Amino acid sequence: MSYAVEAENLTKYFRSLIAVDSVSFKVKKGEIFGLVGPNGAGKSTLIRMICTVLRPSAGKALVEGYDIVRQPQEVRKLIGVVQEKLILYAPLTPVENLEFFGKLYGLDSKILKERIKELLEEVKLSAVKDRPVGIFSTGMRQRLNIARALLHYPKLVILDEPTNGLDPQSVRWVRDYIVNLRNRGLTVILTSHDMYEIDELADTVAIMDKGKILEIGKKEDLKTKYGATKIEDVFLELTGRELRDEISGRLRRRGW
Amino acid sequence: MVMKGPLYHLYVIMKKDLTEFYRVRARLVSMILLPILLMLLFGYMFPGNGTITHIPIAIVNQDQSTGAISVINSFIYMAQSGGTFNVITYSSLSQAEQALLEGKVYAVVIFRQGFGQELSTGSATVQVIVDQMNPTLDQIVTAGIQQIFSQLNVQLSTARGFPAYFGTVSVNFQGLIPGAPSSFEFLAPGFIAMSVVMGGLAGLAMAFSRERELGTMDGILMTPVSRFSIVMGKAMAQAVRGIISGIIIVILSILLFGVKIYGNVFLMAIILFLGILAFTGLGIIATSFVSDQESAQMIMLMLEMPMIFISGIFYPVLQLPWWLRDVAYMFPLVYTVTGFRSVMVMNAPLSAVWNDVLVLLIYSIVTFAIAIPLFQRMVTK
Repeated sequence: MSYAVEAENLTKYFRSLIAVDSVSFKVKKGEIFGLVGPNGAGKSTLIRMICTVLRPSAGKALVEGYDIVRQPQEVRKLIGVVQEKLILYAPLTPVENLEFFGKLYGLDSKILKERIKELLEEVKLSAVKDRPVGIFSTGMRQRLNIARALLHYPKLVILDEPTNGLDPQSVRWVRDYIVNLRNRGLTVILTSHDMYEIDELADTVAIMDKGKILEIGKKEDLKTKYGATKIEDVFLELTGRELRDEISGRLRRRGW
Repeated sequence: MVMKGPLYHLYVIMKKDLTEFYRVRARLVSMILLPILLMLLFGYMFPGNGTITHIPIAIVNQDQSTGAISVINSFIYMAQSGGTFNVITYSSLSQAEQALLEGKVYAVVIFRQGFGQELSTGSATVQVIVDQMNPTLDQIVTAGIQQIFSQLNVQLSTARGFPAYFGTVSVNFQGLIPGAPSSFEFLAPGFIAMSVVMGGLAGLAMAFSRERELGTMDGILMTPVSRFSIVMGKAMAQAVRGIISGIIIVILSILLFGVKIYGNVFLMAIILFLGILAFTGLGIIATSFVSDQESAQMIMLMLEMPMIFISGIFYPVLQLPWWLRDVAYMFPLVYTVTGFRSVMVMNAPLSAVWNDVLVLLIYSIVTFAIAIPLFQRMVTK
């Protein structure tokens, strides 16, 4: 099997609002798959469906061959997710945060202890492993958040805007780490509003808008197709240059 | 990867919630302070010793014998000299009862025909009707009258002031509300149960909505853990907190207000535990429909407040109109309060509170049977 994710006509409705409209795509194993789109394009909804948090209204998707609706428990064991919102408990220490999630993933306590040590060294947080996360900078929290997503040796890592709000040093570290993940053979799905980031990191790029995938392909092929030197130009060509005044999906659903 | 069972995951989630709670000092302090504040508030609102003075009470004398008159005079003297009571003499029982109903007096002390003769033969009984509608005064009045007659009995036994009579006077208290006890003991268990349940509900609103708002709930949902473990782990964390809170309140009640525990502490803990679980299930159902903390807290408040006033904490449920009584019996607080009170005050065994325990158990099972799939639907819809 050469695909980490295979989605076919994946659709999500929130009452009458269609957030993801019959989306089909494939993510090859070991690649960095860049998913880009303006605010409200449906990226987060699509990712939440793949993560098994949201149930699709229609269509199907397989993660490493497991169906996201029929085999959610298997899918969850295989994916690690770094969401835009940090999935960490501020009053707990890094070790306690990682222990909590590690136990939920069913890791044996001895293996878990070793894994926590290894990951904290990797994300450069060993020195503060017993301090509450609440006192950490955004960059430190994001590094810990990445460690949390990798705890259970996932095959697919999904990073939703992982460099949002970080200082340049942290951004650099996160980007290098994403490349490092691919080099280790992991598959990465990366969403970002930073087109330079996508240009630098992604192998394949999918551009979404209004719930649909407008274009998908190898980064260089897309640039050639649209006569562009940067992915940003392809993106703007497809999604337009006008300003968007997007209203939050939740409020729209409530008829605001 | 070793997959462990739902109970293990339940334990992990419970432990995390409790650790997180323990680490945030403001939450920890509020858990300790809330019961202290509530207990102080209610303890002093419904005091255990007489801080209120000159309470009007009525005397009706239906016996004109010398013995009765002597006892009545002594009673009036002792009642008024201590400053606790203002004694008003009524010529007929119906007038005195009317005054009681109108709130002009808070008790009627009746010396029935033949009182003097009974006393001369050994033992005489005084009938006292107490206004239980005002719990603040109820227990002061009861304790005060009881104390006066105890002192009178000491005098009678020495027989110096009453040379012709050698008997003792016993007091038969009767409430306006039949069958209800008339002291702080009636109120204290209700306050304890209420404080524990309120604390549990406040924590519950936080436990789910805060995690959903922060995004950490997604993190838990992305792990291969059953929804049963998530819901039950959080509920158990609330129950443990509730029990700790209950222990604090009980100790405070004993130390500050002299509340006594007559019954089995273990049985009391079981009732409280089931009460919290039943409420937690109900709370999860109610908060499943909202995603932010503030709305969840509002819903909890709407659920709590009416229940507090109709569940027999302040007044016996019997005092409620029939339709409100039926509403009260639809919610678990009334069973928690009744069962807890029966065990704590009346030393009721499990067999006596079995109905309450059973209802709370069924309530917990049913609400969680609804809450778990509802939670699943709400987080994945």
